[in-house]
This record gives sequence, structure tokens and C-alpha cells, in this order.
Amino acid sequence: MMLAYIIRRLLQSVVVIIGVTLLSFLTLHLAGDPTYLYVSERASEEEIIQARQRLGFDRPLPVQYFSYLGGVLTGNFGNSLRARQPAMELVLERLPATLELTIFAMAISTLVAIPIGIVAAINRGTPLDGGIMLFAMFGQSIPSFWLGIMLILAVGLGLRALPISGHVPFLEPLFSGNFQLAASNAPETLRYLIMPSITVGVFSLSRNARLVRSAMLEVLSQEYVTTARSKGLGERVVIVRHALRNALIPIVTMIGLEFGFLLSGVVVAETVFSWPGVGRLVFNAITQRDIPVVQASVILFSFLFVGLNLIIDIIYVQLDPRIRLR
Amino acid sequence: MTDTVRENPTIKGVSVLHGGAAKPAISEWQRAVKSLVAARWPLLAIVLLLLMAFLAVFGPQIAPRDPNRQSLIERLKPPMSADAEGVIAYPLGTDALGRDILSRVIYGARVSLSVGFAAVAIGGILGTALGIIAGYFGGALDDVIMRLADIQLAFPFILLTIMVLVVLGPGVGNLVLVLGIGQWVTYARIARGQTIAQREKEYVEAARSIGAKNLRIMVRSILPNVLAPIIVLASFNVASVILAEASLSFLGLGVPPTVPTWGGILAESRDNLLGGSWWLAVFPGVAIMLTVLSLNILGDWVRDFLDPRLRGR
Amino acid sequence: MFARVRWILLVTLLVLLTATLGVSAQTTPDENTLVIGQSVDVGSLEPSLVGSRAESNIFGHLYGTLYDIQSDGTLAPFLANSYTISEDGTEWTFTLNEGLTCHDGEALTAEDVVYTFQRAANPENAFTGNTVGFVFPSVGFVDARAESDLEVTIITDRAQSEPLRLGLLSEVYLHCKDYYESLTLEEAAENPVGSGPYRFVEWVRDDYVLIEKVDPEAPGFSRIVWRVIPEASTRVAELIAGNVDIVANVPPDQVAAVDASGVATVQAVQGTRRMYVGFQFSEAFADSPGWEAIQNTDVRVALQYAIDVPTICSTLLGTECTRASSMVNPPNDNPNLVPYPYDPALAEQLLDEAGYPRGENGVRFEMVLMGPRGRYLNDANVVQAIGQYLTDIGVQTTVEILDWSSDYLPRVREKNVGPMFFLGTGGSTWSALYDMADLSAPDAGTNYTNWQNAEWFELWDATAGATPEAERELINQMLEVFYNDPPWLLLYFQPDFYGVSNRIEWQARRDEQVIVTEAALRP
Repeated sequence: MMLAYIIRRLLQSVVVIIGVTLLSFLTLHLAGDPTYLYVSERASEEEIIQARQRLGFDRPLPVQYFSYLGGVLTGNFGNSLRARQPAMELVLERLPATLELTIFAMAISTLVAIPIGIVAAINRGTPLDGGIMLFAMFGQSIPSFWLGIMLILAVGLGLRALPISGHVPFLEPLFSGNFQLAASNAPETLRYLIMPSITVGVFSLSRNARLVRSAMLEVLSQEYVTTARSKGLGERVVIVRHALRNALIPIVTMIGLEFGFLLSGVVVAETVFSWPGVGRLVFNAITQRDIPVVQASVILFSFLFVGLNLIIDIIYVQLDPRIRLR
Repeated sequence: MTDTVRENPTIKGVSVLHGGAAKPAISEWQRAVKSLVAARWPLLAIVLLLLMAFLAVFGPQIAPRDPNRQSLIERLKPPMSADAEGVIAYPLGTDALGRDILSRVIYGARVSLSVGFAAVAIGGILGTALGIIAGYFGGALDDVIMRLADIQLAFPFILLTIMVLVVLGPGVGNLVLVLGIGQWVTYARIARGQTIAQREKEYVEAARSIGAKNLRIMVRSILPNVLAPIIVLASFNVASVILAEASLSFLGLGVPPTVPTWGGILAESRDNLLGGSWWLAVFPGVAIMLTVLSLNILGDWVRDFLDPRLRGR
Repeated sequence: MFARVRWILLVTLLVLLTATLGVSAQTTPDENTLVIGQSVDVGSLEPSLVGSRAESNIFGHLYGTLYDIQSDGTLAPFLANSYTISEDGTEWTFTLNEGLTCHDGEALTAEDVVYTFQRAANPENAFTGNTVGFVFPSVGFVDARAESDLEVTIITDRAQSEPLRLGLLSEVYLHCKDYYESLTLEEAAENPVGSGPYRFVEWVRDDYVLIEKVDPEAPGFSRIVWRVIPEASTRVAELIAGNVDIVANVPPDQVAAVDASGVATVQAVQGTRRMYVGFQFSEAFADSPGWEAIQNTDVRVALQYAIDVPTICSTLLGTECTRASSMVNPPNDNPNLVPYPYDPALAEQLLDEAGYPRGENGVRFEMVLMGPRGRYLNDANVVQAIGQYLTDIGVQTTVEILDWSSDYLPRVREKNVGPMFFLGTGGSTWSALYDMADLSAPDAGTNYTNWQNAEWFELWDATAGATPEAERELINQMLEVFYNDPPWLLLYFQPDFYGVSNRIEWQARRDEQVIVTEAALRP
């Protein structure tokens, strides 16, 4: 049953990905003829027409779209108009850096949020609770670019505690099988990661902490917890066995939806911290109307999103046996 | 993705699995006011928000100067600096073009708040309507709407926003539109889940049996029961839209620099920070922070208020 | 449970602490390495695709050229040591130095130069870089041919001012035939083998390009890292922290902070980029507010007096600058022309006389001024300031600021900006005609205003093949025409701010090129 479900979901995702490519294709083409961005200043009218033909922008839009889609089905995502390299390759090349940032930001935003949310819930009404919640409130009201620049000025330049900007690869050597390099890079990678991922993750961290707190409070007041308590189970056992498990459900849901959200933080953080990831690549590609690169990254992200949500649904069932996959 | 368990997600702390409050009656409003007065923070938040709203509405009357009036000789004046005659012309200082920060922050309230509320209104109304329709009719219509929602969800919001703004160009209207459209899915999902729960309830059945039109049932019977979590979500959402506007300003894609917004003023200030002109950042920053903080506090309170089991926390 | 929570917290904390404190905090470059921060990455490493400044900075180190444009604007022999010109001026024959090689050891001879030019011009390669997009149309390139191992002839369709052509041809990056013939275009774009003083080592996209010195005995750092740092505040922070040695485009309001840091100093140089506000003549804008008014020469002259350029420079650009009197960089300009002074009263008087008095609401006519952001020094603010100055004399101006690469640039290219628009085009230190080539023909791609002054274009055509003295006379005449019937509201030559670490000795150039072959550690 699980397998059938997964297959069905994957089929649905094909529809989603076609929709996503169509949407981005139309949006970028509505902006007008991108040819001018790919000819030189002194190009004559004739040269512009030639360039338009060469780039394929002279064909009717439906033809362009379907020939693109045909290419995608055979694994050809087209060449970047600017870099003249296969578009998907460019995106995949940058993906590890963005994954590092996203995963670390997600880790911060959940692994830190869960304990502090629990601590706040257990100490409800105390100054500790108030302090944590105040921190969470502020974390949710700072624009991320601002936080990033402040971190650079205060921690990077003022205290000289962390590198200001840049990137040391970890996943990239790991994926290419160079474990030794990955291992020796790891501490440096981490140092370079801290400020950008705080910038990306602080909003989610704050929200998740509040979410955990209220979910814990809700669960703690429920009957089965009271029952468990009355059975004489220790408070710790109650919290771990009963409360936490149920409180995790909304968090897990959030993580799935959060992926797209974190990505918006990534575009900003990659710019502020000179992080060579997909966020900046795709931002530049959009402003330069490098359509194949935009398409390739949109497809990739949709794929990751769909995959991630599938995994989360499966985890979900594990967490809450009452829920069934349909 | 839709027909999984997560039709009734818990989003941003809004527990939507239980039915929500009944139709608010007069006594309910009284209870709200009482509860608000009892809880000090939400009251403060409301006062702050009302103040911001007042600034936004009466900005042109309150602001001491034209927010776009420049004076290059008077650029980067610190707050409260007096001129030769001892007159304090710029209480909050001036920016890199010699524009009055106070007036810009006041006018900024206008744009930032209206972007926030308008975008959420668009997303909320569109999403709620589609969600109710999907939940109420089910079947193919439901499939189409929810598939659209999947497409939108899988399309990273920021990419969509950047694309649309690059295509349409910067501007308040475009910004509101794209931020609004970016929001509808969450509302649709919640509304749909709620509607499915309500659809089979007795009073809906009863209305149907006496021949009430679908539209009437949806508006009269279902909408009120869907509203509670929607309102909670909306209050959090306004906050995040205001922050999104700031981020887009940083990327150069928000509102054009000739229109003062809090995010825009803050983004512009970054070239002056190392030069020590802190006031360029602090005042719009504080305005954003207070507003977002108030909206979050208020959202928390609305949620607690509408969800009786959480009351008193 | 609590134990576990604490454990998680503790581990997180420990990891963060060791990470922050464990390793040396800074990444200051060593004594053999020079680090340069640029705002954008190279798009490709294909020499015939070089178009942006970030690219030509790096390629200027990787590839040799026929002659070399020096920082003072003179042209000096480089891979070629002399040239002769055919009688009709269309064929130039260069003599190459002996014993040249490319970085893979292949000998660089006349045949390779021919190959370079022909490869760039080959329509199948569809190159759009500076060579084929700017140099070739500007010189009227036809073909190249090898006369002997060391002699190569560049064939063009016209005679041309000598320094202009020499400078233009010196923008072509020479490479070797055997190597590039063996590669596909895709491979070539990632594996450059050049002929200049530095060789390519590594490119991590959007992160850095690393190059190293070919001849260990030559002056200059052994390794140069070109880092990509898009955000200006971050670039300056890295400079002050001592991690980057040179950054271009320091925001004017951060100059004082850099100078006060004790780590780095800002060098301000008078750049060659001509900043101006164009008046759109295209009929396509006939319905736009103010278009009709600026078709009147007297109005365009009047508006010249409305803008306080020196104040814009001293406040928004953080430096004194002289206002431009023409489109030509000094000292190649017409010395008899005096820059328009700031005289708003005169501007108002001239507008009254031109038939545009203030209306009852104080407005003479309305105007739309477009400008980019994120391209030129403090561009958005300068445009807004200009809008204010125009409004002050009764020209009610709406400022429209557009994103540079996605919006403004394509519109400029389509000549779809106006009625007034802010723009800067690159100039030179070595040729007046180079600067004037923006308006080389009424339909030239760079005649963004669609200016149609017949006298100017007749004089331009007369410069072909003129003697240097006659050419100078024609130039002065043309600039006078330009001054009196201005298609541009003349502003300034953009100053450039380079933040330079105190650990190195290096002098910034005027032409926006960052060339560090002579940079050295401060003793």
C-alpha cells in the first residue's frame, strides 16, 4: 500500500512539475524579447535578428515550450544563455553549497527550537518562559538581510570571531567521493556556515520555538497525559513518551512547508555572505532572463520539494498511527 | 500532495482540526474586550497597531515635511540636531539625500501597512473562497484547485515573486498582487479542511434539505465556521508580508526608491552604516519590529481567544 | 528527557564554540597572494565572450594583446612591437615579438593571431563579447591574414584614426590555434589557455577565480584570487578586516570608515565613464509628458543650467569633480568649451524665453526621468537628486528607477527610455574619437537618444583618413556642435573609489580596469 501511494504521488508530481515549468516559462517570456540581453551594444538590426533565430526566440511560444519540454523528457535541460554551459549542470554544481546552508539552517531552526520550546512550556509563566518567548518574538520581527549585515559588522568585523563571508565546501567533496577533503574541510565549513544559517534560520527558529511551546502546552493538558501522570509515571517519562511525540507533529508539518520559505532567506543570505549557491545563481538568471537556468532550478526545487514532502508524509504516519495514507 | 493526511495541517500554531468557534455573538465581543483588557500585552499591541494605522491614514496631515523633498546640503543630519537659530528642523535626522526621516517613516507606515494588509486580504479572500469551493463541491473541481495549490507550493515563493516583479516591474500594486497570490494556498488548505468537516454537519444538511442554494450555504453556514483559523493566520501573515517587502527592497525588487517604505528606508541605509549614520536604520527598523511584534502578539491572543482549550495560557 | 534536552543543547553549544574559537579566526591572505573583491562573477572564461568589466579585469592578466593600453592612456608595444599601415589605411600589418608562447607551451605566431580574429568573427560560434560586438564593428573588421611567422595583417573596410584603431585592436585577447581548435566551445569556456603574464588555475563559480604568475621572476604577486562579493557592505567589511586587498566601488559614504580603519585606504581616481542624462528624440515618446518641450534646443540648453553638478559630486559621490563640457574625457576634449555652470535663475529665464513659463501651480511642464539602480556609483540617489533640481525650476519631474539588468539595460538597448534618462557609457584615456563613437552614425546602436544633428554626422564621416591635425580640428568643431545642440544633459566623469589594503602598493587606473601586474607588498 505504501508503494502504491508513493507511485501515485510521484505521478502527481509530474503534473506539478509541468505546471511549474509552464508558469515560469510564461512569466519570463511575458517580459518581452530577451534577445537584447545577448547581443552586443553595437549589434545591427540584422545581427539582432540572427541572434534571435539562434536563440530560438523567433519561434511561436507554444513551439518553444513544447520543444523545451521534449528536451527535458530526454534529460536535456538546454544550455545557459549566458554561461553557454548545460543549465542543469550549472544548477547542480551550485546545489551542494545551498544544501549545506539550508540543512544547517533547518537544523538550527528545529534542533534548537524543540528544546527551548519544551523548556518554555514546562516553565510556563516564569521569567525563563518570558525570556525565551521575547527572544522568539524578536527573532520573528527582524528582516533577514538586516540581521545578516549586523552579524557581519558585529561578529565578523567587530569581534573577529567568525569569517565575514565566503564558503568552504563540504558536501561537494563528499558527493564527489573525496571524503578526506570533506572531513578536513568540515570545521572550516561550519565556521563559515554559522552566520549565514542564523540569518536564514532565525525566523523559523523563533516560530518553531513558539510552535513547540504551544503544542506542548496543548498536549500536556490532554487526558492521556493526565492519565499517564496519574499512573505515577515520572514527569520526564510523560514528556518524552507522550507529550513530545504528539508535539512533534505540527513541527514536522512545518518543515515540509518551510523548505520554500527557507529558500527565500537563502537568496538574501547568499548575497549578503557571498555564498556561491543556487539562490544567487537563479536570482541572477532571472534578472538576466537566462531562461534555461531558471527552468532548471525551478524543476530541481520542485523535485526536492515534492520529495521532501513525500518523506515527511511517511514520517508523519510513523508519528501518528491514527493517520492513514490515502 | 493534497489527498494525504495533511488536509488539516496545523499551521503557525493554528490548530484547525477542531471546529473553531461558533458565530460570534454580541456577548462574544464583550468577552473579547474583557479578555483583551485583562491581558496587558495584546492590549498594548492593539494600541500600537492603532497608532501605526493612525500614522498611515493621516500621514499627509501629520508628517512635518514632504517625504521626497531633498536638500543635499542638509544630508545625513543626526536626530535632534539644531540649526544656527536653535530650531530642530529634523527630529529624526535626514537621509543621504537630505530627506526628513520622520516624514519618511510616517509615509512609510502608509505603504508598508497597506502592502501588508492588502496582500493578506487578496491571498486570504482568494484562498478562503477557493478552499471552501474545493471542500464543498469536492470531486474534479477539488482536484483542480488542489493541484494548482500543489504547483504553487512546489514553486518556491521567492522565485515566483522575483520573476513576477522582474516582469511587471517594481511598484506597490505589483508587489501587493504577487505577495497576495503567494499566500492563497495556505488559506485554501485550511478553508478546505474546515469545510469538509462542516459539510456533513447537521445544520448544513438541514439547509440543503430546505433547498438553500450552494452559494448561500457556503457563505451563511460554512464561512463563519471557517473564519476563526483564517483570522489567526492572517494576523501572523501580515507580519511576514511586511518582512518580505523589506527583503525584496534589499534585493532591489520592492517598491521603487521614490516611494518610502520601512523596508526600503532600511535597505537604503546599509551603505551609510559603516559611516556611523545609525539613525537611517534604527527608526524604520524599530517601526518594522514594533509592528511585526504587535501583530504576532495579537495573533497569539486571537488564537488563544478563539480556541477555548488554550485559554488562560 | 531533560538530560537529553540538555545534552542536545550542550552538544550544539560545544560545536558552535569549537567552531568559532578553535581555528584561527581570520583568513588574511599570505604574502604571495593578492585578493581582489569584485561584485559580479565572470559569466564564462571564453576570451571572445568577454563583455563585463569583471571579465576584462581577469582576462587582462590571462591574455596578451597586440598593443597594451597603459594606465596613463598611452599605447605601448605588447605581443606586437610595431605596425605598418597600407596606403589606403584599411590594412594594418603588425610584427609580433619572437619566441612568444601560450601557457601550454604552444608557440604563438602570426597564424595564431589570424586564428584569434577569425574564430571570434566566425558566425557559427555566435560570440557576443566585446571583440565581435564592439571592436569589429568599430574598426570595420573584414579578415586577417598571416604574412609570415611574425607578421600579421588585419584587414578592415575603412581608414581610421590611428590611436583609435590601435586601442580598439588592443582589446582583442590573443590565443593559440592548436589548443582552441581541439576544444568544443563548451570546453573552451571553462579551460582558458592564455598568452598573458598570468595563467588560469581554478574557477569556482560565484565564489572565486584563481590565477598564478607564469614567470616567477616577473614583478607582481604569485597568485591572484578574484573573489565575488556581491554586497557592497560585505566587500568593505572584508577589506577592513584585512581579508581582501583591493575592492572597487567603495560606496562614497563608507570612504571615511575605510580610511579610519588603519587597515586600508581609499584611492579616488577620476574615471573615464561619461555620466549624462539623455534627451530622447524618438517620436515613439511623443505622447510622454515633456517630450515636446525637450525637442526645443533652447530648452535643452536651459536645463543644463538647472543641475548643481559640483554639489551632487561633493555630497553623493564624496569627491570634487569637474563638470563635463562634452562627451570627451579630458585632456582629449575641446579646451575652449566651458562647462555649463549651475545657474537656476538663468535656467528659469531661458525657459521663460523658450515659451515655457511657470503655470499657476508653478509648473512649466511635466517630465519623466528614468534611471537605473545598482549600476553606477550611487545611481538611484543621483537620479533622484537630478529630479529634485529639475522640479525646483518648475519642470515637475517624476523619477522612475528601474532595475539595471532586468529592466533598464534592455530598454536602453531598444532605445526605449525617456523622455529623459540617466546613463553612463565607458570612455577612454587614449582617444577622443573613441569617446565620440557613441554617436558614430544616426542609427548607431549606442545613439540611445536618436539624435539626428546632420552637421555632427557629416563631420564624423570627414574624420576617416584625416591627418591628426585635421582630425583634431574636426573633433573640436563637433564638440562645439554637441555643446550648442546638446543631446545630453552633461554631468560628470564618474569618479571611481578603490579600497586598497595598506599592506600593498598599487595605483588604481582611470579606465576602470584593475590591473595588478605591478602590485607589490609594501616594504
